[in-house]
Amino acid sequence: MNERIALTRRRMIAASAFTGLASMGFVGEANAAPVRGGKMIYARNADSLLLDPVWTDANVDIWVSSSIYDTPLLPTSDGLGVQAGIATKWDVAADGLSLTLTLRAGVKFSDGTAMKASDVKFSLDRARDPKAGAWNEMLGSIDGITSSEPGTVVIKLKRPDPTLIPALAMFNTGIFCQAKYEATPGKDDKEKAEKFAEHPLGTGPYMLVEWQRNTRMVLKRNPHYWGKAPDGGALPYLDEIEFQIIPDDATRLLKLKAGEVHGSEFIPFSRVKELQADQNLRMELWPSTNVTTYGMFCGEKFKDGTPNPMANQKFRQALNYAVNKDAIIAITTQGLGKKLQSFMSSVTPLNILGGPVYEYDHAKAKALMAESGVPAGTTIACQFLAGNQNHLNNLTAMQQMWAQIGVKLVLTPLDNPTRVAKYRAEDYQINAGGWTDDIADPSEITSYYAYYPNIHNLHTQWQDARVNELFELSQKEIDVAKRRALYKELQERYIAAAPIIFLYEVPYPVAFRKNVKGFVQIPLGNNYFEAAYVEK
Amino acid sequence: MSRTTWLISRLLQIVPTFLLIGLAIFVLARLLPGNAVMAMLGDRGTDEAVARLSHDLGLDQSIFAQLVVFLEGVASGNLGRSLAFHIPVTQLIAERLPVTLILTGLASVFAIAIAVPLAFVAALNANRWPDLLIRGIFQFGLSSPIFYVGLVLLTVFAAWLRWFPVGGYGESWGERLYHLFLPAITLGFSFAAVVMRNLRASILGVIHAEYVVFARAKGLRPGIVLARHVLRNALIATVTLIGLHIGSLLGGAVITESVFAVPGVGRLMVDSIFSRDYPVIQALTLVLAIMVSLAFLVTDIVQMWLDPRVGR
Repeated sequence: MNERIALTRRRMIAASAFTGLASMGFVGEANAAPVRGGKMIYARNADSLLLDPVWTDANVDIWVSSSIYDTPLLPTSDGLGVQAGIATKWDVAADGLSLTLTLRAGVKFSDGTAMKASDVKFSLDRARDPKAGAWNEMLGSIDGITSSEPGTVVIKLKRPDPTLIPALAMFNTGIFCQAKYEATPGKDDKEKAEKFAEHPLGTGPYMLVEWQRNTRMVLKRNPHYWGKAPDGGALPYLDEIEFQIIPDDATRLLKLKAGEVHGSEFIPFSRVKELQADQNLRMELWPSTNVTTYGMFCGEKFKDGTPNPMANQKFRQALNYAVNKDAIIAITTQGLGKKLQSFMSSVTPLNILGGPVYEYDHAKAKALMAESGVPAGTTIACQFLAGNQNHLNNLTAMQQMWAQIGVKLVLTPLDNPTRVAKYRAEDYQINAGGWTDDIADPSEITSYYAYYPNIHNLHTQWQDARVNELFELSQKEIDVAKRRALYKELQERYIAAAPIIFLYEVPYPVAFRKNVKGFVQIPLGNNYFEAAYVEK
Repeated sequence: MSRTTWLISRLLQIVPTFLLIGLAIFVLARLLPGNAVMAMLGDRGTDEAVARLSHDLGLDQSIFAQLVVFLEGVASGNLGRSLAFHIPVTQLIAERLPVTLILTGLASVFAIAIAVPLAFVAALNANRWPDLLIRGIFQFGLSSPIFYVGLVLLTVFAAWLRWFPVGGYGESWGERLYHLFLPAITLGFSFAAVVMRNLRASILGVIHAEYVVFARAKGLRPGIVLARHVLRNALIATVTLIGLHIGSLLGGAVITESVFAVPGVGRLMVDSIFSRDYPVIQALTLVLAIMVSLAFLVTDIVQMWLDPRVGR
């Protein structure tokens, strides 16, 4: 694909911001000329932990890494595709067994060092190293990489892989300066990564200049950044971004209202309407891949040896039909959520988008309950993260709803490591969870939700040999229409089997002072500040 | 026993205390269900990823082997690296401990500065309106959760009146004191209530004692009687109480630091427990144990000064 036939990332971001704002009635303001310079203070609810794209395993790192590191390709702002990043062209061979990247000329790291094709090769080799980090499988189809200066990288594949191109836009493919990285002290890659991540060096729009753990992080504009604004001027607009770490929701909002910060992430849904009504603020709700689903253990017996009613498909379906999603969306998300149409979000590519699944139907739930043979008065327990108000709201409502079909729901709040340990040991009944995609492709979520060999389908123990087969076929199918058909059948079978309670998807709620423009959060969650600015 | 001998024996008692605390926290942290790998990988961890990370973090070793590594580290002053933050624990604590020390110090100063004079006013006007008013206000302090008091103060004095910043921690010392003013008031409020009520009761207990009546009969001025004979004796029990409450104050700092976004060790401790960051939990517990032990030691020394019978 050629850069000329795709919108540039900057235009996509500008277009997206404009569209988002236009839908909220701020067209005039979005048209105003961007202001260059200045500083933005942005409140985050948690600090980053490790600014190394390969070894990180947390959204708190992933979502800001795009400000520091560029990837060969970039996700589009709608989350459905990729666009030019460090690579301006990406040509797949006719046999699907190699991919040639043509690199952008003149790209420099933030210290002024010129980026070389060998840096890209080094970074991709590191990202696919099976011994490094948790994400190397995303590049598992790569057989070998060669580079030639000034700007060509050829990736040889073991098999055709439809997920490779979106995988090259994933955070873990962030480009490093090989010489600087290798000069970092450390007995192995993990130690080097930890040291390097203290003062990361990338080609992204900003560079890290100060980091007080759990307090603040200061990014300054990268003077060597290659990105250009629509007017031809340099990006980013801002001179500096300061991330302040404020875990308490109420305090974050008070600081925003007092004008001590320009923006804040993770606005509680219960406060969205209040902020929308505040004339000094602008509430932004970015489409997201964040879905809330509750996995049901489907094995024949629970860990303690007692029979498991959720092994019964009709019972699982009854539980799904008995949940009034509209009511839960109104209670928990203040009406901002959307009913699920599959296990994946509506902005995940290849979602079948056949309308909401398991629409509330009390009569059908009662009938399925009777057909299942599960006796009235059956008790099941749901474990959830203690202190998570959204799960508590959902489950409290579900207690009432399931009581109507004769099922008693017991709530079990647990701290996270305890909950995860029980979940991994498959020693639970229902597990309240959720998901956010990291890649603009359905393969990641599907491998966890529906492909048994990975993690027993969210450790539910539900499995369908045909679904496994469909997934394996989809991982080799490069014809988009055929792959779509595979995913359609896969999702239909999954929905019918109902190993999860399908609840809702929610947008990312972010709020800014009125004079802040141009921020973008894509459905994968990545924050983009390069087109952000603060009006005087 | 001379006072010096007593002091040395008190210092020596601290050493086994630390050892026991270190061992206890090492074992207790590992008895908690789940571990750092569960916290880090969450619901997505594959068997391979869990095994690899467990190995990287040394969590696949036996608890005894982990204990040996911990003790060797403590003996050499190396408290290890944070599993979550990927930096040395000493660096993490060194950045944050001063913040908590300043916050709890300010809260203590605030509490004592408010509680001592008001305890006198309340005791000298026992069961009259000033006493009832003071006790009523402090009853609110005792019965209100810290996070609630903090949010009320934030809303009124920071968000509405804009007299103070909404949380955070400044750069210069002046800014830091300014930023920590509301958190210190919040943290000190319930502490002041405890001190005031205790001191009031102690003053009422000694104000009619024979030696006070005698001092008055001698013709000493009321101020001197109050300072030398009433306060000094009433303070003995209150000093003990203040010392015992240092631990509670550190506990309260956890909530205060969260509400006011103050980057102290309280918040770090909570985060570390939830992420099963064993090296940080162990190191912080030891540091907090040192602080509380030193506070007890200072309490004993002050008591010795107030009451010469102590230490004999």
